[in-house]
Amino acid sequence: MSLDTIMLLVVVVPVFGSLLLPLVGKVCKSTRNGLALLLVLVSLAGSLMLIGPVMSGKVITLTFPTGFGQMMLMADRLAVFMALVSSLVGAIIVFYSWGYISHYENQNEYYLLVVLFLGAMMGLVFAANLLILYIFWEITAIASWRLIGFFRSPAIVLRADKSFLVTFFGATMMLLGFIMVREQAGSWDLPAIKAALVGHPLSSAAVALILLGILSKSATLPLQTWLPDAGVAPSPVTALLHAAVLVKIGVYAYARLFVVNMPLPEIWQTIVPAIAGVSALVAAGAALLETDLKRLIAFSTISQIGFIFLGLSIGGELALAGGLLYILMHGVAKGGLFLCAGIVEQNTHCKDITKLGGLIKTMPVTAIAFLICTFSVIGIPPLGGFFSKYMVIAGAAKGPHLWIVLSFVGTAFLTIIYLMRVFVMVFMGEPKTELKSEGSPVMVWSVALLALLSIAGGLLIYYPSFFATEATRQILGLIP
Amino acid sequence: MPSLLVILPLLAVLLLNLPLNFLRRLALPAALLLALYQAAFALGVLPACCAGCPTQERWFLNALDPLTSVLLLAIAIVAFVSVFVLRATAGEERREFNMLNLVFLAVAGMNGLVLVRDLFSLYVFLELASIASFILIAAHREMGGLEGAFKYLVMSALATMMMLASIALLLALSGSTSFGAVAEALQAHARHGYVLTALGLFLGGLLIKSGVMPFHGWLPDAYSAAPAAVSTLLAGIVTKVTGVYALIRLVLDVFGFTPATQQLLLIFGAISVVAGALAALGQSDMKRMLAYSSISQVGYILLGLATGTGLGIAAAVFHLFNHAIFKTLLFVNAAAVEKQTGTRDMNQLGGLAQKMPITGVTSLLAMFSTAGVPPLAGFWSKLLIIAALWLSGFHGYALLGIGASLLTLAYFLSLQRRVFFGLVRAGCENVREAGWALTLPSLLLAAILVGVGLALPWLIGTFLLPVKGF
Repeated sequence: MSLDTIMLLVVVVPVFGSLLLPLVGKVCKSTRNGLALLLVLVSLAGSLMLIGPVMSGKVITLTFPTGFGQMMLMADRLAVFMALVSSLVGAIIVFYSWGYISHYENQNEYYLLVVLFLGAMMGLVFAANLLILYIFWEITAIASWRLIGFFRSPAIVLRADKSFLVTFFGATMMLLGFIMVREQAGSWDLPAIKAALVGHPLSSAAVALILLGILSKSATLPLQTWLPDAGVAPSPVTALLHAAVLVKIGVYAYARLFVVNMPLPEIWQTIVPAIAGVSALVAAGAALLETDLKRLIAFSTISQIGFIFLGLSIGGELALAGGLLYILMHGVAKGGLFLCAGIVEQNTHCKDITKLGGLIKTMPVTAIAFLICTFSVIGIPPLGGFFSKYMVIAGAAKGPHLWIVLSFVGTAFLTIIYLMRVFVMVFMGEPKTELKSEGSPVMVWSVALLALLSIAGGLLIYYPSFFATEATRQILGLIP
Repeated sequence: MPSLLVILPLLAVLLLNLPLNFLRRLALPAALLLALYQAAFALGVLPACCAGCPTQERWFLNALDPLTSVLLLAIAIVAFVSVFVLRATAGEERREFNMLNLVFLAVAGMNGLVLVRDLFSLYVFLELASIASFILIAAHREMGGLEGAFKYLVMSALATMMMLASIALLLALSGSTSFGAVAEALQAHARHGYVLTALGLFLGGLLIKSGVMPFHGWLPDAYSAAPAAVSTLLAGIVTKVTGVYALIRLVLDVFGFTPATQQLLLIFGAISVVAGALAALGQSDMKRMLAYSSISQVGYILLGLATGTGLGIAAAVFHLFNHAIFKTLLFVNAAAVEKQTGTRDMNQLGGLAQKMPITGVTSLLAMFSTAGVPPLAGFWSKLLIIAALWLSGFHGYALLGIGASLLTLAYFLSLQRRVFFGLVRAGCENVREAGWALTLPSLLLAAILVGVGLALPWLIGTFLLPVKGF
């Protein structure tokens, strides 16, 4: 199989395969569950097969001549890195869903949307044309709208609508920005745009509009309000949307558009880190006050996304590589936190941390997995999260904006407080609810796997950081 | 031969009404066959037209160009679907037969309207289509339908009076009513007050017929009170052909783009887009919401037309076609919901997606297409309209247009929330999917939406952009 075929399959198999799931589900439920996982694993396997070629310096392209330009899909190191992160965490989440979602109705719809979502994510990652990017961007929005409203009670559907409207607002503004890019650069294709914009930074109006789209998707101030509300979704969905994949779309688009292809006017290297800093700090403060378990973790996500934006926007090789590594480490660890929260919620029917306690006695694996993921998000060595946080802060400290870096150090300190507070209140102390045993084996295995990945990501830091560094060097044009 | 498209429906009406009993049963198959023939014909001539259409003028109706063939296709699709809806909802056999006859007349009128290149013939066919629809709206002889038909009749009479007066003035000026002669005369006397009066009267009439805000008073009543099949036909195509198509055709071929017409179209387009969407947000009757949404979408078409560029005009025509598809689909779904639950009040419905999966999914696709969510057909037309506005320098209107698509999504999400998504409401537990007569057209239209949306990047160079080359 040629490389471009593999790349196409990584996108096409889950996108179109997902449409079969409801049909299969009508016949046999376990076949459907297996097929759903298989579709995501195809993406994962395909991404793994692409590592070798892209690390040897190849850029895989697949072109379709259309009325809107030539290039459609392209795989470079950045894209393959992102595809790996998304499909890895996605596969674990689908696996966890086997246990979690088996108690509820509308499972066919659930698997259809989750796999479609992941397929669209793959398409977005490999897109090398603004319109293709936008199309997949909106498919993820539709899927997440439906998934957030999965439980269907009026209040929940209202929140799903809210999240859709906020992200759709951002997306339409971004589309207008794309039209301005098209006007300035004369093409929808990223390579052509890159060539046309050499020496001519993008107009600030276009940057601002596109940034609105990115911030809305990554739930960063001032468009963050939908994310905590979206916690009403099933827990694997919140893990998928809020931790691992959806919110990373905005970050990835930032890297793909502004770091790789379109030079930004100077001023934005101050504005974007400043927005990220405020967003991180405010969200950390909100997390300190929150008592709903899933909302709290959602605020923590908003806060951590700020670190990623800092790494990507401040400039410099170290910070950029740290930002990429952060996407991986945070995806794994935060995914683990959400899935643990899902087990707690499903067993105790309670999301209020003030009414929980002492769960470590009956749910030891979940508690320890939660603790490990917490440590990783906080950034305690030797877990994966430490290295990414260190690289981002150290890289940023080389830049001119010391006050921004200091605010991030403060945020990192707050992170320790609010996450440890959760762990202590939920798992330590006296039991306040009827004690339940662990969740189903599938679910416990999933969180244990994510915790192990967090540890492995730290102990074997050489491999992911090598990948991220190489990707960064390619982005910066230091190597082909 | 395009003239057949006018002659055959008229002939059908004559033959079917001969005093032979078995003929009545042939009306439905005849209508479906005619629609299929027309669709095949339009699809057959479309590539040739787009490749550089030889305009034949042997008969008075033989003028074909891309715009005409796109419209013929849309008329055929909507008529085909409406006949299905008619079958499912008309009730008595006699009433069904009568309504079918009127549908034949309306289709003949619309086909004639898109084929002529003469102001007076245009007026005649416009009246034929309109009068058939007045009667169709009132076909069930209920209070609401009569009221809707009366309002439409009165506003329409005003509009046609204005148009007729304008035609008289233009005839006096140019000595002819053919498009070419009138356009020449207008060029010669461009800024004369006399000409401006004639133009103003005609454009005013067309804006009323299109249901553009603030001349929309008749539209929500007519759409929502009409029988299901009629509102499908009316919203999908009749008002679009009699109003919007005529406007596009005349502005392009006869009146020309002056800064004044551009401003007029931009302003009324923008008002319709925003006010229509805001009004739709406040509705609780499903068909009324769709009616206001229709007004809002017509606004987009005007905005695209107003740019006067090839891209903008192609986008406007494409949006007109898309609108015919997705709005028809939504009205078919509304008919299915009303038939199965007995109400259109969205506050009494809920969770129907579980009970009527086909209706639920197709309505979702149609709504996303309307709101401009990719990769559906409506996304591309809206994108091109916004791009055309931006590239022509109307930045404010581009921002407004794209902002209003957020409003579109908002009212459709509210419809979804109240009707389809959400928990099954008490009283809706036993609702079932409507019969094949309603689900089949839904699936057909949804397939067109998705198919056109996915194929568009390849179609744009061959089919869409040449539409500008009139």
